[in-house]
Amino acid sequence: MSPRPAKKRTVARQDLGNRIAHWLIALSTFALIFSGFGQMPMYARYGVTDLPGMAWSGDFGITLIVHYAASIGLITGIAFHIVYALRLRRFDILPRRGDVKESVQIIGAMLGRGEEPPSHKYLAEQRLAYAFIGANLLLVTATGVVKVVKNLPGVLLPGPVLFWTTMLHNVAAMLLVLGVLAHLAAFLVKANRPLLPAMFTGRVREEYARKRHPLWFDAEDGPRLELLPQPTERRRRPRPDGTQRKTAG
Amino acid sequence: MESISRRAFLGRGVLAGTVAATAAIAKPAKAFAAPATGQTKATFIDLTKCAGCGACVTACRTKNTNRYPDPVDDIPVNWPTDGFEDWQEQRDDTDKLTPYNWIYVEQLEVDGVSVNIPRRCMHCDNPPCANLCPFGVQEKTAEGAVVIDHSGCMGGAKCRDVCAWGIPQRQAGVGLYLNVLPGIMGGGVMYKCDMCADRLAAGGVPACVEACPSGAVTFGDQEEMRALARARTEEIGGHLYGDAENGGTSTFYVSPVAFDRIDTALSRKRIALSKKNRTGVPHMKPNVGNRLDTANDMALGMALGPVVGVAAAAIAAAKIVKGDDAE
Ligand code: HEM
Ligand code: SF4
Ligand code: SF4
Repeated sequence: MSPRPAKKRTVARQDLGNRIAHWLIALSTFALIFSGFGQMPMYARYGVTDLPGMAWSGDFGITLIVHYAASIGLITGIAFHIVYALRLRRFDILPRRGDVKESVQIIGAMLGRGEEPPSHKYLAEQRLAYAFIGANLLLVTATGVVKVVKNLPGVLLPGPVLFWTTMLHNVAAMLLVLGVLAHLAAFLVKANRPLLPAMFTGRVREEYARKRHPLWFDAEDGPRLELLPQPTERRRRPRPDGTQRKTAG
Repeated sequence: MESISRRAFLGRGVLAGTVAATAAIAKPAKAFAAPATGQTKATFIDLTKCAGCGACVTACRTKNTNRYPDPVDDIPVNWPTDGFEDWQEQRDDTDKLTPYNWIYVEQLEVDGVSVNIPRRCMHCDNPPCANLCPFGVQEKTAEGAVVIDHSGCMGGAKCRDVCAWGIPQRQAGVGLYLNVLPGIMGGGVMYKCDMCADRLAAGGVPACVEACPSGAVTFGDQEEMRALARARTEEIGGHLYGDAENGGTSTFYVSPVAFDRIDTALSRKRIALSKKNRTGVPHMKPNVGNRLDTANDMALGMALGPVVGVAAAAIAAAKIVKGDDAE
């Protein structure tokens, strides 16, 4: 079989576990945001209930159930993600020293100012986005759990605890909305779009990875070069020092 | 091999951590749980004795008059609706619940019997109004009083919507929303009976209870009141309301006529009222449910979520680790 044209070659970037966790968390978050705004008495007031098929959105009984159901999805996704990352020791998305400066450089390069620094598996701004979204997700989850416990019959929390839990929950939710919007806005930038297939097929173009993420591409635990459709014999690029890579079994 | 056992150790550590964290979250909740019954107070209202004199209404109005809303002259219109809820003109009405009247006596003819029913907040055991306040400015005190913090209320009226009886009433042109985004967000402040929480905290009884000249209202520890109400129900072959409704309350009505008959008479009366005046005339449907019931049934699923997530991740990761080591 002849190798595919270089332009079409792809490398594996996000395995199934990562993609499942991402989409479980993402869909739960969208449902939580919509039903969470529904917990504010606003859909009836601002006419959302008048939209065709949306009359239910003003019913606190219904939006509360949606909120609970989505939170189960979120908690499950978060638990999965944390244990999965720890077990496989994948820490390449945690922020590193100098990420803020590097993010500024990357954004500058997108605007045509200067060169973009070579990236690891994730761009510095992706690592920051992860930390920001992750921290707010943990905060909404922790305060949300307190709110669930408080709703149980027989549980009374003192006024100040109620007030501050509610406050933190609302603030973290607002910050999360900003984080998600920024995350989606990132894909308006053309340079980031080659990442999109990573969360669907799990793969990105080899050429993109080689150019933008060389520190990942050339690393020992970097992507395995494999062609689509799966070849019987895996291809390996020689290492810079000429030694042979371990072949995949 | 060595690395696998270290990974397995890590996994077990995470699981233990999750369990410990769950326990840590559950513990403070226990510590704050409702005090042993006995501290929670309740009222037992014997409708065979209520003469409908209105002394309780007068006592409440006198006690609370300086807490009634005092709105600005220029009340902002709640965009995008074309109005706001203003009860100033009806501040002297005592035949329904308004922001200026927190208890009224419902007077009905039911199957030839006339009944007088003092109506106000029931002070539910698990109040959806307080639990679901989006700003967390309502609480249930140790005495069982469900209290709205007027200074923090934005007046979105969610508590009225989730209350089984639509008890809290809104007055526009007062409160915090005027300092935030008046006209755009919020709509006033919600008002209702607070069981005279201040008098309770000082060891007293509610003003309305003290005022009753007919001995129709008894106030005391919730379990004692429940027992009295149940005994009285049996004694007269009557009917009990507030024991099971909305998941249990701190108000027990005992009536010689069935409550579904009372409710029918009430709905007939409500239909005849103008739309505005239909609020603040609460129904008396037997066994009305609590808005939190379904959600609370789902709480177990929330406890299972992390277990499923952790197990699935451990299995999936183990498969990958194995695949790597087989190389
Ligand atoms: C339609 C919606 C979404 C799309 C198309 C999308 C797509 C993506 C893509 C392509 C990546 C990059 C993966 C890589 O670098 O290989 C990513 C990463 C990520 N996503 Fe999403 N996502 C969506 C919604 C969400 C939501 C709602 C959340 C949060 C609750 C979220 C949280 C994250 C985080 C934390 C990362 C890692 C940091 C980053 O790459 O910026 N995503 N997503
Ligand atoms: S009667 Fe309504 S307002 Fe009073 S505690 Fe129950 S739910 Fe809340
Ligand atoms: S308990 Fe106090 S606030 Fe409530 S109706 Fe009676 S007098 Fe009014």
